[in-house]
Amino acid sequence: MKPIERRKFLQLAGAGAGAVVLSSLFYDQLFAGMILKPGEELFASRFGVTKEAMKKVLESALSKGGDFADLFFEYALNNNVVMEDDIIRESSEDITLGVGIRVLNGKQTGYAYTSDLSLEAMQRTALTAAAIASSGVKVRAAAIKPVQPGRQVYLMTSPFADAPLGDRITLVKEAYAAAKGHDPRITKVVANLGDSLQCVTIVNSEGLMVSDARPQVRLVTSATAEESGKRVSGRGNAGGRVGMTFYRTAGTTPKEIGERAAKEAIILLSATDPAPGEMPVVLGRFNSGVMVHEAVGHPLEADGNWQKTSIMWDKLGQMVADPSVTIYDDATIPHYRGSLNVDDEGTPTGKVMLIENGRLVSYLHDRLSARILKTAPNGHGRRQRFSNTPIPRMNNTVLAPGAASSEDIIKSVKKGFYAESYGGGMVENTGKFTFSVNLGYAIEDGKLTQPVKNATLIGTNVQILKEVEMIGNDLAFFLGTCGKDGQSASVTAGTPTFKIRQMTVGGRS
Amino acid sequence: MSAKSSDRMGLAQSLVAYGSKQGASEVEVSIQEGLESRVSVLDQNIDKLTESVFKGLSLRVFVDGKAASASSSDFTLETLERLVDNAVARARLAGQDPFGGLPEAEPVQAKAEDLQIFDPALIEVTVEKRIAIAKAIEAVGIKDPRVKKSMGANCNSFNWDVTLANSKGFAGSYRRSLINCGGGFQGGEGTNLFEDYWGDSSTQLSDLKAPESIGKIALERMTRLLGGRMVETQNVPVVFDPQMGAWLLGFLARCLTGISVARRQSFLADKLGTKVGNERVNIVDDGLLVGGRGTVPFDGEGVPCRRIGLIEQGVLKSYLLDTYWGKKLQQRSTGNSDGPNNLYWAAGTSSPEDIIKSVDKGLYLTRYLGLGQEATTGDISVGAFGLWIEKGALAFPVSEITISANLGTLLQNVEMVGNDLELRDSVSAPTLKFAEITVGGKSG
Repeated sequence: MKPIERRKFLQLAGAGAGAVVLSSLFYDQLFAGMILKPGEELFASRFGVTKEAMKKVLESALSKGGDFADLFFEYALNNNVVMEDDIIRESSEDITLGVGIRVLNGKQTGYAYTSDLSLEAMQRTALTAAAIASSGVKVRAAAIKPVQPGRQVYLMTSPFADAPLGDRITLVKEAYAAAKGHDPRITKVVANLGDSLQCVTIVNSEGLMVSDARPQVRLVTSATAEESGKRVSGRGNAGGRVGMTFYRTAGTTPKEIGERAAKEAIILLSATDPAPGEMPVVLGRFNSGVMVHEAVGHPLEADGNWQKTSIMWDKLGQMVADPSVTIYDDATIPHYRGSLNVDDEGTPTGKVMLIENGRLVSYLHDRLSARILKTAPNGHGRRQRFSNTPIPRMNNTVLAPGAASSEDIIKSVKKGFYAESYGGGMVENTGKFTFSVNLGYAIEDGKLTQPVKNATLIGTNVQILKEVEMIGNDLAFFLGTCGKDGQSASVTAGTPTFKIRQMTVGGRS
Repeated sequence: MSAKSSDRMGLAQSLVAYGSKQGASEVEVSIQEGLESRVSVLDQNIDKLTESVFKGLSLRVFVDGKAASASSSDFTLETLERLVDNAVARARLAGQDPFGGLPEAEPVQAKAEDLQIFDPALIEVTVEKRIAIAKAIEAVGIKDPRVKKSMGANCNSFNWDVTLANSKGFAGSYRRSLINCGGGFQGGEGTNLFEDYWGDSSTQLSDLKAPESIGKIALERMTRLLGGRMVETQNVPVVFDPQMGAWLLGFLARCLTGISVARRQSFLADKLGTKVGNERVNIVDDGLLVGGRGTVPFDGEGVPCRRIGLIEQGVLKSYLLDTYWGKKLQQRSTGNSDGPNNLYWAAGTSSPEDIIKSVDKGLYLTRYLGLGQEATTGDISVGAFGLWIEKGALAFPVSEITISANLGTLLQNVEMVGNDLELRDSVSAPTLKFAEITVGGKSG
């Protein structure tokens, strides 16, 4: 157990990540109607936590001199179905219930949480959080005024909550069968459907009260191919804040997800290790958002910038990338895995421009970083669950498309490397990052040739951003789970095909 | 606390009984409940204090060989019974699995109180004491002119109870405690910045290393990287420092774990009893190591933990197994349902100095960056930092290079094993030297 480690990472298509839904079988009568009416009534009617009680808890939280307090109530249901060895092997159902209580005292945070929602237990927990402040002027909690989220970015038609377990098993079986039946060399398939519904109510000492009910689903398939002693694995997945119809739409059907996994595994059978060295690198659409996530997103999360540990802390307003580069984070893209109506501090989400034509224009803020850097929060305070403090996080991070076609980009490279799919990436505060390429191709004379596996791309963000040479017109997204400070968050990132003039490719010679 | 402990066992056993009554042929319930206390400091100011009771209950049911599981942080009886009802209903929709089912109850010989995994002093340790430890770690670097920025320091303590009961008659519980602390620093010039960290953890307060010594190691690890540069792509011997050895061993553990092996998503599938490395490869998991960070009397299924030779003189002797994946491999559980307990690469006889001296030209690897480990093939490809070795001495720092290797090949090419094994973490290794690894950098 490493007590401190500031590297952040992104995992793509991790099997077993996330979880599933309320089917009619799981359906809790006490929740009837909750999804359509996800208001504060949930915690009042289900757990007896009234607005008056919330006010009292906030007063306890501020009783020792803190200048801001908030409560994060969470009731989340996760379900998961796994198929392998030709059977539905297991299903699981998980319930998360609790409230996190935070007290801010200047730059300092006091935090405590409890799964016991009695007034007495919450007040006791609030006093623990309050201990961060021991003197100073007392701030009073304002009257609580409930508001509705200003938008609805989740697909609430045909929610998984209404789907019988049988329907979900059907999806898993379809993905499994598609992967298994794709080629006789596919020897092993695991298909996993995970979905969740997270209901939150956020209340703070400024009087804000907002509730949100957030669906999330992902179908992941991994396939192993074997041939003459060689064994490789490929993956496919699709999902988002969507309902059942998503998997009945061309491009994201279980059959296509399963086939994608199998196809990747079959191609990998003939893949070789790359020739290492520095060379032009073309990053393919769909998955190369991992580079934007690691190289740009993390270093622009504002906690590392007010703490001055991020390499970007003193670069606001400066040209940090090639002028062709525009990067933003948009948590409001309808139905996307990283989208939210409000963040986990109740701040409305929006499209936040980070790098505009090469110039650094903003960081990703939570309340605390915005307070310290004297700006407004911009909807990026997120937490994994009630037991975690909010920290600045990404949602859907995007490299804006340019004009080039992917063919022209590949054609422009005489000898180089093309990255198609990834295992994930990692970055540290210095801006140094890597990402692991699961499947790539050698580029020779403007054409993709030999499939390549086991490559690593490495660089420093402030250098690589200036090496961006061509940006394509074919924007596409991947689904990922981002890890930071021990908390995971569902995200996407999107890029068109784009080209880095020169980058270090690691491999074996 | 003993009253609460019996309450937990009462709850677990009543849910087992309830599940059996609702039609489950087998039921297992486990409860974890404890206190977490965290302190972090930045620039000698308190940054964050967290203190809370955490709790979680998880359960598994089998209905005629069909499985379902559930978990909850909501302990109201109504919720828990509904979870059991749902699990029984869901299990009926699962496939008939000949490998499903709970382990037969085995007597647990190890007594928790003999294992030194709980220290009452860790319940008493005050917030002030933990703040002082974190500040002392950070102070070492803040005083040093080579440090541009502290990355912060922290000190956290955990005390928790584990309770497990099942329908096969198993009933067991134990208490654990852990304290950990650490810090990190950043230095460098312009945009060529470097950072590194160090920390320590212990089940006993008195055994925790002095904060000043932890801060000093973090400082040394960072400062020796300063000015790091790329080298040309080449194949050279690579020396892994103990930290990186543990990282490699963590990957090996994943490849030895039942789920990876049975799914054939490990390069070590079908290799039991064969030579998977040379005679310098000796890997042990000791679940009963006294005072070990990963020591527990029994695993998450109630199977007694033990000391297992996984690889002996290069021969693969055992996988890390739970009941289910063990059955699939026609083996018994090794008490590793929660993964490795105290996994280590047995020490050799060479001093780290002698290992470095033996290298004419190569890499001393101290830090990695990346997720490039593929268990199915054993392939490794990550970013790397460290020191270049020339004529048996550390010559200059290297940065932004990559290392690419295959774990299967590496195990055959272990050249030296250090005598510097320290069991300070649940995965530990001594300094290790491998014959040849591709270091990727500038094009030659």
